[in-house]
Amino acid sequence: MQVRPRPAEDVVGYFPPMAGRTVPDGCDLCFLPRFAFLGGTVYEVSMDGVAAVILLRPDPPVRATTEVLSIYPSARDVPCNLLRVYIVFSEPMSEGYAAAHLQLLDESGQTLQGALLPNSYELWDGDHRRLTALLDPARIKRGLVPHQQAGYPIRLGQLVRLAVGEGFRDARGAPLRAGAERRYDVGADERRRVDPASWTLRAPRRDSFEPLEVIFDRPLDYALLTRCLRVRGPNGHHVDGAVELGPAERSWRLAPSEPWCAGRHELVIDDILEDVAGNSVRRVFDRDQTRSSDAVREKGPFMIGYLPR
Amino acid sequence: MSTYGLQAGSVEIMSAGPITFGPAGILFLADNGAAKIFAVGVSDPGSGVGSDPFDLENVDTAVASFLGCEAPDLLIRDMAVDPTSHNVYLSVQRGRGEVGRAVLVRIDRRDGSISDIPLDDVAFSEMTIADAPAENDERLDTTLPIGPEGEEFQFGERTIRLLRRPVRTSTVTDMAYTDGFLLVAGLSNEEFSSKLRRVPFPFRQEIDDNSLEIFHVSHGKWETAAPIRTFVPYDGGRSILAGYTCTPVVHFPLEGLAPGTKTVGRTVAELGAANQPLDMITFAQNGEDHLLVANSAHGLIKIAQRDIDAQAALTEPKEPIGVPRELTDHHGVIGLANIGDDHVLALHVDGDGHHHLSSLTTSSL
Repeated sequence: MQVRPRPAEDVVGYFPPMAGRTVPDGCDLCFLPRFAFLGGTVYEVSMDGVAAVILLRPDPPVRATTEVLSIYPSARDVPCNLLRVYIVFSEPMSEGYAAAHLQLLDESGQTLQGALLPNSYELWDGDHRRLTALLDPARIKRGLVPHQQAGYPIRLGQLVRLAVGEGFRDARGAPLRAGAERRYDVGADERRRVDPASWTLRAPRRDSFEPLEVIFDRPLDYALLTRCLRVRGPNGHHVDGAVELGPAERSWRLAPSEPWCAGRHELVIDDILEDVAGNSVRRVFDRDQTRSSDAVREKGPFMIGYLPR
Repeated sequence: MSTYGLQAGSVEIMSAGPITFGPAGILFLADNGAAKIFAVGVSDPGSGVGSDPFDLENVDTAVASFLGCEAPDLLIRDMAVDPTSHNVYLSVQRGRGEVGRAVLVRIDRRDGSISDIPLDDVAFSEMTIADAPAENDERLDTTLPIGPEGEEFQFGERTIRLLRRPVRTSTVTDMAYTDGFLLVAGLSNEEFSSKLRRVPFPFRQEIDDNSLEIFHVSHGKWETAAPIRTFVPYDGGRSILAGYTCTPVVHFPLEGLAPGTKTVGRTVAELGAANQPLDMITFAQNGEDHLLVANSAHGLIKIAQRDIDAQAALTEPKEPIGVPRELTDHHGVIGLANIGDDHVLALHVDGDGHHHLSSLTTSSL
């Protein structure tokens, strides 16, 4: 007895039987597959080379309950050298659907061909809920042939939409409850290093639970913001607390778990922190070697001191 | 295998990633889901080296049939050829999502028969990819959930829900073994980093930060970090040729570079707009070494080593676009591997999305 999944109609040839073994079960024969039968697959069973039966392994019904929780950047305006977007789903997702179901569209709904970087290895977080997609860096980086020939993936003055199609499958194989999209107005390119010296700090009152608020000069990278900022207290220990990102990822707040004590605190900024165009505290995404303002900052965290009021 | 620190046990693979052969028939397998690289003694049963070509039409349907799924439920991640037996190994994902399973498949080149490498009792060793978040670093794995997930914490009068999970990952895009080191290129799902890790093999307990930061300068002016999509050791392992996510083919030396060194590659060729490098190998033709680049827009690109060696770093973005190159008529190639000196095995996709294995004679390329 041999079992084979039915090949596509346009494919001909000999294909090996499914791995497994046959064991007697009373008067019957039982096929034990080494790899479990897959839902939605048609299997052809043959005996001594003669087709015996065709079986459909039913696809277990799965309700479409997964949805897109958010798309970052969350700002309405993005620079034309936008490098990276994040899509956060409510449940773990399946791999292999991003190329077909994640698109950048222009105002008329036409796909912006080649805007998103095709990647055979999709960039997921550890539990497959957050997908990172890059806009083609070859078209963003100045001086390369793709930038010269095709220009930026998105253009100054354009209105674009990042659309997630409902055909994107979650880990159970179900489609999304609904597609999702975020609209962006495309502005001028951003080619400056992230400079924490230009940020505004609103110091909290001493002995209070007021949050420390840090306001940036431009939207910063959503994912990196969640791990690149810390506060160190006068005793040298990190201040525990709850972090919130403000609208458009333009601000960051830390509400302490203990009241603020007196003395000098420091906001410690990891120098890998980037804005939405890939410029970091250390370096401009594609730094102009001839410009002194583009010089690479020495490696190490950036510190901003403040005193609770 | 004990020479290389491999011990018998069970390998749990979460996701199938790039594969490449190392010494003594050891196959390296990157598991991007678990942020690990495994060295597996695959105990290849083949012997002797033949120079016969090997072809297998509809390899995706054949492997899927063996694994009991339809071809669209099979993702072929990478291909490697055993340097001794020339048997073909595929790293595949069978099924998707919760039912997905990573499988290492061997295709016997003598008869095209397919088997899977049992991983429940196999000689192996493993290393964790160094950039994975440290378990004791709360910054790296705590995030604010938007939905109801996570755990509630009390901060003064406020109750905050926090989610602790691995959000930062490093995805291996290509690997190669050379002279006691496994070279690992990858892409972060957060910062635009460009590390090429040099992992000593046998793997050690301690994780060596033996990585290089790779940069690229275009038009002699603009410098960026340059994540590597695919690469091939070159010049006896003293240097590598790399294809970046941003298309240029770049040469840079490895020899004598200290860990943490910033390295600027020398651009030898631009592949053009809307084009991705997918795989690279070197091969000899008429006594001369060549580079062969599979890419998403054109046929295979063939470049002579002497032209690469003679090419000064490109400084102009338009013309010339680098070393002289020839385009072959082989379109849709997504993977390449050497089968001895006489053939190159190409994994290619036709217009209907079906995958095939075809041997290309090196003299015809």
